[in-house]
Amino acid sequence: MAKDAKYDWLNVNKAIDSSATDIHSIAFNSIDVNAGTSFCAADGTIAANTFFFDTIPKCTGEVFEIVTTSVVAFTMCVVIFSIIMLSQFITVIWTERKLIARFMDRRGATTSMRSLWVGENGVTAGEWWTLLPFGLGAPVGWLVNTLNRFVGNKSDKATVSRVNNRSWHGIWFLFPGFFQGLGDGMKFLTKEHMVPNKADKLIYELAPFLIISSTVLILGFLPFGSGIYAADPEMSVLFAFAIFGIAPLGVFFAGWSSNNKYSLLGGIRSAAQLTAYEIPLLITILSVCVLSGSLNVIEIIDFQYGSGVWNFFLIPLGALLFLITMIAEVERIPFDMPEAEAELVEGWWTEYGGMRWGLLFASEYLRCYAACILMAHFFFGGYHAPFANFIGDFGSIGDAYLAIPGIVWVLLKAWFFFAIFVWVRAAFPRIRTDQILELGWKYLLPLSLINLAFAFILRLYVFDGNSWGPGSGLIVPAAITIISLILFVVLSVDEDPDWDGQRMNHTRTRTPAGTHTLGED
Amino acid sequence: MAEMWITMGPQHPMTHGLWTLRVKVDGETVVDTVPELGYIHRGVEKICEARDFTQITPYCDRLCYASAMTWAQSYIYAAEDLLGAEVPERAEYIRLIAVEMQRVASHLMWLGAYCPDVGNLTVFVWCLRDRELFLDLLQELGGSRMHYNFPRVGGVKRDLPIGFAMRARAKIEMFRKRLQEYEMLLDESTIFLVRTQGVGACKAEEMINAGVTGPNIRAAGVNYDIRWAHPYSVYDQIDGLAAVEKVSSNEGSDCYDRYRVRMTEMIESCNMIISALDSIPGGAETHYNKKDEMIYLKPPIRAPAGQNGFHHFEDSRGESTFYLAGGGGKKGRGEFPYRMSIRSPMFITIPYVSKAMIGYKVADIPAIMGSFDPCIGETDR
Repeated sequence: MAKDAKYDWLNVNKAIDSSATDIHSIAFNSIDVNAGTSFCAADGTIAANTFFFDTIPKCTGEVFEIVTTSVVAFTMCVVIFSIIMLSQFITVIWTERKLIARFMDRRGATTSMRSLWVGENGVTAGEWWTLLPFGLGAPVGWLVNTLNRFVGNKSDKATVSRVNNRSWHGIWFLFPGFFQGLGDGMKFLTKEHMVPNKADKLIYELAPFLIISSTVLILGFLPFGSGIYAADPEMSVLFAFAIFGIAPLGVFFAGWSSNNKYSLLGGIRSAAQLTAYEIPLLITILSVCVLSGSLNVIEIIDFQYGSGVWNFFLIPLGALLFLITMIAEVERIPFDMPEAEAELVEGWWTEYGGMRWGLLFASEYLRCYAACILMAHFFFGGYHAPFANFIGDFGSIGDAYLAIPGIVWVLLKAWFFFAIFVWVRAAFPRIRTDQILELGWKYLLPLSLINLAFAFILRLYVFDGNSWGPGSGLIVPAAITIISLILFVVLSVDEDPDWDGQRMNHTRTRTPAGTHTLGED
Repeated sequence: MAEMWITMGPQHPMTHGLWTLRVKVDGETVVDTVPELGYIHRGVEKICEARDFTQITPYCDRLCYASAMTWAQSYIYAAEDLLGAEVPERAEYIRLIAVEMQRVASHLMWLGAYCPDVGNLTVFVWCLRDRELFLDLLQELGGSRMHYNFPRVGGVKRDLPIGFAMRARAKIEMFRKRLQEYEMLLDESTIFLVRTQGVGACKAEEMINAGVTGPNIRAAGVNYDIRWAHPYSVYDQIDGLAAVEKVSSNEGSDCYDRYRVRMTEMIESCNMIISALDSIPGGAETHYNKKDEMIYLKPPIRAPAGQNGFHHFEDSRGESTFYLAGGGGKKGRGEFPYRMSIRSPMFITIPYVSKAMIGYKVADIPAIMGSFDPCIGETDR
């Protein structure tokens, strides 16, 4: 690598580690000072009066190690959990609610009083007051025009002309609605827990615990900064996705045990679509690992910093595939067939209520959030600042820029991708189960294999051990990015003059009584 | 996998009202369906046998919560036929404006209900937002947002308010732009196309045999619209009503065709409103008082036995028909109708659609059902 990994000053792991060691040494030293009660001497040898414990060898080494490690691990879990709970439950659900409201223009044209004056750029919808006799309408017109000038809409590009539906209800700096998610969660606590009649009680009760606990486990392997993580095993990518794969099992459990036909259909759908997205997802992640030469999330992040290029600029196709398959993995629109509320009332969730439903709901957002963080880690440099190598060179500005702790970048990137998830949800309808199978097997799988081969080629023949290609190492990524952008734009334009003549065809599996045929069915 | 019956309804997101669709599925495939109707039968026809001709109008408003104005006017024309009432031409224009606004609002309600059926909630909120534009205009006419009680036998309750024409033009201008937004969000979305195109295929001759009418059959290329086939009111005097063009070259119709027809009809209705505002006798900016003879002519209040009233009307969902027999009331003096009979387009369409979805997937049930715009209020009456 060209550069060593950057460590930011907010190194919680290191702080807790050293403080735990300090506390222990202080404690043991003070015990030692109190005459005759110490197990261990300061130099590690067994104290004279510890005949009772003299079976413990090398107590400073091993006992300190075990105690310190468990204290550090526990503390880190608490820290990570607090970060997640604060930045997830509150912020993410609030973000989703606010974003979707903006997309949908929820505060629509229902405030009828303001329709009197609100127009666009000072032009009202109709000057009705001029129709009043004897000029009686003149003061009304003046009032309306004045109001329109000061509190009317300034933009005619926005789809707001009758009322201003960009208004904030509440005091803006209090983030209106910020704690609504917490309040909703508390409401679930007061609700009764019920098991449906003739449900398989054990499995029915087990399913939410399986889903929720596996979801929380994922977060143990996600670094929030260069020194903020709960666990860092050698192959954390493998571990994280093994755990990601447990939740669908819980979905099958829930679907089959609820004694509800909608739940059953939701479980069937979940089982059917599982292989369609899981295989392309894992192959895409494999391409990331190949490119970065590691199965460890932290090493993947540091590799992107060291080589100076985010993985996104090397395998943009992989980032796209990862986004699509992750939306399918966390079961959001357009891939939320297992819980399609239009036909299967709530799919496999239907029979759950109370806090179990609340926790399932929260775990869905947690999975979604974990997917966003992984997206940031795998393709967008994780906890490293954007253009860290470039901006970091600008003297004091660069120093200030690099001094921003990594957790800020992780959360910003994750929220950005979450915003994309919300955008997708607002823009797309839901596709059918047979269509996601077709998408997964016929498009995503071959594309992910191509992406994997591309990653192999890049790693084997382009990467020279320090950077990507000749010179500054930016030529190859820049070329790939530009070509991908051009391809994306060209492929996005689907203007086809013959479009009206071509219709999608739907395959019937059974011929009904009055055989309808359409097109080439 | 073994076949099983699923009972969708009476409370189910697919139903758009209160009814039950029992579906037999084989895995994800629909094998058989049985519709069950009648949950909100209120006996409107029987109630109206004890109401005079003005009192019936609110009951007809409540036949369909999404399209109250059209149903009330559908009744009004039959009652005028029964009583032999004269209607001033200005009142006819006002009725036409109101009905076409209601048609736009109803189609927006349909689009707003249909898009969640295929999974997009955004359009639902947009549609309800824009429906408010027309509901506000209708509120200016009738004083209420849903059940207007606006038309009267022999005219209308009120004249157009001051500034109504100006606001209507401005809002329609705005609404045309917003329709383009809908088309950008739906027509250019491949997922919407794969969910609607080729789904719910229905042949035109089958629909004719079953008695399906309105936008649903126009989507299949059958060019039949009572508004110009048998013009009532002043539909033959205004511009804007074009014969529906078939969207695709395919035989029959699918969900996408039905979507396109309603989008086209919304534009047509807007054109007709503008045209009516331009050519209304007395001018759109004039305001006549209540019961002025420009907007209301006092009708006879009794219909003796032996007189019949009949009218068929292009409702937002198809052909609605009212039949009224005179001679009801005390001792047959005729202040009430002796018998009232309503033909609801959806009562005929729903059984047909239930069978038309056989062979498709479970996920297509709401997509197909929603595309026919079911309204259970009028179905159960």
